[in-house]
Amino acid sequence: MTSVPDEDVMLQVRDGEVHMLGVLFDRYQAPLFNFYSKMTQDRTVSEDLVQEVFLRILRYRQTYRPGTTFRTWMYQIARNTRIDQVRKVRPESPLTSEPLAPTRANDSAERQQEAQLLQRALMQLPEDKREILVLSRFQEMKYDEIARLLGCETGAVKVRVHRALQQLREVYLALENNPAAQTQEPRRTSTDSLPPTGRVQ
Amino acid sequence: MNNMNCRQLEELLPDYLQGALSPAQTAEVEQHCEHCAGCAQDIVMWKKLALLPQETPSVESRQRFDAMMHAYSTTVAETAASVRSTANAHAVQQQPSTAKPSWNFIEWLRSPFGAIAWSAALLLIGLYAGTHLGNRVAPEHSDEIASLHAEVTSMRQLVALSMLQQQSASERLQGVSWSTREDHLDPQVQAALMRTLRSDGSVDVRLAALDALSRHATQPLVRKNVLDALQEQQSPLVQVAMIDQLTEWRDPGAAKSLRLLEQTPNLNPAVKQRAEWAIAKLQESTQ
Repeated sequence: MTSVPDEDVMLQVRDGEVHMLGVLFDRYQAPLFNFYSKMTQDRTVSEDLVQEVFLRILRYRQTYRPGTTFRTWMYQIARNTRIDQVRKVRPESPLTSEPLAPTRANDSAERQQEAQLLQRALMQLPEDKREILVLSRFQEMKYDEIARLLGCETGAVKVRVHRALQQLREVYLALENNPAAQTQEPRRTSTDSLPPTGRVQ
Repeated sequence: MNNMNCRQLEELLPDYLQGALSPAQTAEVEQHCEHCAGCAQDIVMWKKLALLPQETPSVESRQRFDAMMHAYSTTVAETAASVRSTANAHAVQQQPSTAKPSWNFIEWLRSPFGAIAWSAALLLIGLYAGTHLGNRVAPEHSDEIASLHAEVTSMRQLVALSMLQQQSASERLQGVSWSTREDHLDPQVQAALMRTLRSDGSVDVRLAALDALSRHATQPLVRKNVLDALQEQQSPLVQVAMIDQLTEWRDPGAAKSLRLLEQTPNLNPAVKQRAEWAIAKLQESTQ
């Protein structure tokens, strides 16, 4: 069974059939939730952000252009939503925060420990490096799509992925050698490392 | 053949990671990594990332989306209706002036004054085109812009409003908790919370609404509303909570309201006692 392409569904939403947004929500809420969970390590925040993205899609539906890949457009909105969230985050922790369980229950103890270290290492990367790894590794985005999303050359994306991976490796090794070390706080509230974005809304 | 150095590998590695290389290039990368621990470790790290699990959103996520869609459609429909009625009102007002062209438009355009006006209009059109049409991402339809401006700005407010109207008390409770996620209390949400505080069927929901409103105690309207709602309140539990809140705020009007409450026939003794305590406390603070 072939499903209607995202772009056609989005055009219907744009042209007034707003209920069709439900189709796109069903297709993308899980990938988006995954993107945000890897970026924030917090379930509640991630679910809020997913809802916010779909509200923005609804409100800015008239700005969607035929010929634009829906997924890229949606991730542009998702990135801006995240940037706005980081900027307005309050110093005290949110009312209901639900950190992610970093591991799968049926993994061995050793693998669980590795996964925990990995998650800590990922959170210690600057926001832009974490983002490019999450996009290329977990969102299964090809480099040219990431390049369109970030507004840069494909070659530059490849270089950035490699650099981010190298830094992750360094942080991971440091944590592995000294797991108890309380290294610097994750940069949850800093926008310094966010690359400039071409805003779509 | 193993003449590839790390710099050359660097160019191929990202594509290798995503499995985008030809079999020959893949073999070259793997051959290099057999002898180069650094490059091999990058690949190990990439593979290790698979240890992090895929996350699944909660079931409530879809419900919340539906609530948001419902609230959005309702708000936009209402806004569109009010925009239309305003537009109609303007049209009616303008009708008399457009109905009587008492001078010759072409003649006027030819006059020096008309020529200046004409040039100015062209300039304005040019400026408009330059600033607005050049901006490709701006919404195209003016009524859309109008409704965008008018609609409730936050998804959380929309969800709170929608959930406060639900049948089940637990959903209304969630609605109250949504309203507290926003620093700024939207007037619509505030009104909905006040309705909830006055007339919700569930004591729990009323208490939660009071709690939510108390976060915005700096707004005089919030205090006044709570003060007014005190006399209507039937549940002793909520009454006591309201008394405590008013005492905490040291609201100047509170003592008078509390004395009035004390005189209510058949008032619950616990509430009466609390009211007395509060009046004493308020007097203390004013002395």
